[in-house]
Amino acid sequence: MSTDSLAKCSLNSRMHLLLIEDDAEAAKYLAKGLRESGYTVDVAANGRDGLFQATEQQYELIIADRQLPHIDGLTIVQMLRRQGSKVPVLILSALGSVDDRIEGLRAGGDDYLTKPFAFGELTARIEALLRRGPGVAAATRLKVADLEIDLLGRMVTRAGRRIELTTKEFQLLEFLARRQGQVVTRTLLLEGVWDLHFDPQTNVIDVHMSRLRTSIDRDFPKPLIHTVRGAGYVLRDEP
Amino acid sequence: MSPERSFRSSTARLALTYGAVVLLLGIALQGTVFLLTRGALRSEIRTIVSAELDDLAQDFNTGGIDELVSVLRSRTDSWGRTGAVYLLTDEALRPIAGNLTAWPADVKPDSGSEVEFRINTTEAGVSSSHPVWARVEQLPDKFWLLVGTDTSESERSMHRFGLATIWGMGLITGLIGLLGWWYSRQTAQRVRDISATCDSIVHSDLSRRLEVGRRSDEFEQLSSTVNNMLNRIEQQAIMLRTTLGSIAHDLRTPLYRLRMRLEEGMLREETSSATRDLVAPALEDLDRVQRTLGTMLEIARAETGNLAQGQAQVDLAALAREMCELYAPGMQERGLQLRLELDAEAPVAGQRQLLAQLIANLLENALKYVPAGGSVVLEAHADAAHTVLVVADNGGGISESDRERAQQPFVRLQEEPDLPHGSGLGLSLVRAIVRLHRGEVQLQDNHPGLRVVCSFPRWL
Repeated sequence: MSTDSLAKCSLNSRMHLLLIEDDAEAAKYLAKGLRESGYTVDVAANGRDGLFQATEQQYELIIADRQLPHIDGLTIVQMLRRQGSKVPVLILSALGSVDDRIEGLRAGGDDYLTKPFAFGELTARIEALLRRGPGVAAATRLKVADLEIDLLGRMVTRAGRRIELTTKEFQLLEFLARRQGQVVTRTLLLEGVWDLHFDPQTNVIDVHMSRLRTSIDRDFPKPLIHTVRGAGYVLRDEP
Repeated sequence: MSPERSFRSSTARLALTYGAVVLLLGIALQGTVFLLTRGALRSEIRTIVSAELDDLAQDFNTGGIDELVSVLRSRTDSWGRTGAVYLLTDEALRPIAGNLTAWPADVKPDSGSEVEFRINTTEAGVSSSHPVWARVEQLPDKFWLLVGTDTSESERSMHRFGLATIWGMGLITGLIGLLGWWYSRQTAQRVRDISATCDSIVHSDLSRRLEVGRRSDEFEQLSSTVNNMLNRIEQQAIMLRTTLGSIAHDLRTPLYRLRMRLEEGMLREETSSATRDLVAPALEDLDRVQRTLGTMLEIARAETGNLAQGQAQVDLAALAREMCELYAPGMQERGLQLRLELDAEAPVAGQRQLLAQLIANLLENALKYVPAGGSVVLEAHADAAHTVLVVADNGGGISESDRERAQQPFVRLQEEPDLPHGSGLGLSLVRAIVRLHRGEVQLQDNHPGLRVVCSFPRWL
């Protein structure tokens, strides 16, 4: 698995992100955090500069605040899309209602994150957007250590032993396995598996995860599902 | 009864009342004309007959019975007055002269009396009965003289007149009815138009206005008054929205920075575990503040907003099934049983995410308040007019006096130190979301427990 980590690290360092954020302190903190995660980050402090940089340079991903001086985040996305750009755009906003979210996604944004958010939530979403490629979607078989998932036959085996899962448990496992090694937050799980965009006030997701964990890890010495404190879950070979 | 229906019946009632008044006035007018005309015709007959009778009495006085007989003969032989009837008899009512063959049976010989009787004639083989109006006079020497007139012509005219009157009244009634129907339909239609437009404005687009033409009648005055009202409402909604937007922004930015600083502190290697133990709960508190703020904004948006964006047909039955799948394990872990009672389809016009949030809030309420061993039922039903979503439990319930209060923001009915997530906003958000979908919420007694009934107008 160490080669995979290396691959991921070099993948991140090649990844060039643009952060458009007018709050200097927030921009500084986010840029620092993202650089520590291995990304190359450019920062624009207002909408005009952001749009200019986004059209001048090739970025793998753009993170744009919604409320910006000069040109707001939604307009930037709209203008980029009108120019035919397909670069993934993650919109950050203090406006968090369902309507605001729909507006953001309609404008051409690929994901919408409401401030304040945990940094882990942001990196999880960035990874999800960057890895969203055709290659993974076409896979019919996923493998994590001795765990094998047959997507066509809807069958799961670990160390050659068949594991019975409910439909939802299977979907959860598939979601995690497609993002193996990445931290997946509870909100991402709720969005990805249930297509729901709200904050549960109770631990519903944790209950589902603990059931899945029981099925996958209980009878085996090495756990594959790990809890990341304050962020979410990750499916990987190493602790 | 819906307002438009009662209005419709009220315009119809108005038209009917006016119709009845006009009809009564018409009947009175026509009736008077009828009676006056009949009186005039009769008095004309009376004048003619009296004059002739006086004339004949004069003839008798000057020339005696022979003179009278000859005058009567000449009058009956020649074409005299049309319809004239004469009879001269002796004391025993035996005819002497005139064009009647016998004294009419039902007429008493009484000098100076005015009588009515009928005579039967046969003319060209057709027998007919004619009404006659006559006066009887006793002449000196006890002769009886009867002079009258066949009134069948004038009665026929009156009959025709009466018929015309009835037809006229019928026509007028019909016209008034038609007019009333048209008028009440017109009025009801305009009121319905206004009310439908108002409805769609309030529910979907506050920037729309009622049409005001150039007629400037009461309806257009009403429309322009409603438009003024809508202006005020829209201004207030916009103000509330912008205020909420800036509050959200102003609070979220410092919260965002606070969170970043705390997280950065947690990430630093040199941070001691004691500090970490202090910061971790602070982050959790921050989560809670953030959630409450988000819920508050969501409530405000739902209460002031509309469904213009992202509205689609949502099947509450399917959504309930998904939400059940999401919450059943959590319920089971708490020792609760979650059951579904669903119709095949329960369509509602709305936003799936908000409706999911609604169901989640109700289920989470049950998770928090229903003691272990209890059961929760999630129902979705649809009839021709409504789609109803029900979450019922057999827990402690809410007493009737508290039910209205329970839907107010930040109201908690019981102290719940062991329940860290209760923000007291759950049911307020439920109510706001249901209202946004043009529905209503009712908290009912489930004997025992709480039964929350959300009823929506059905998707058409």
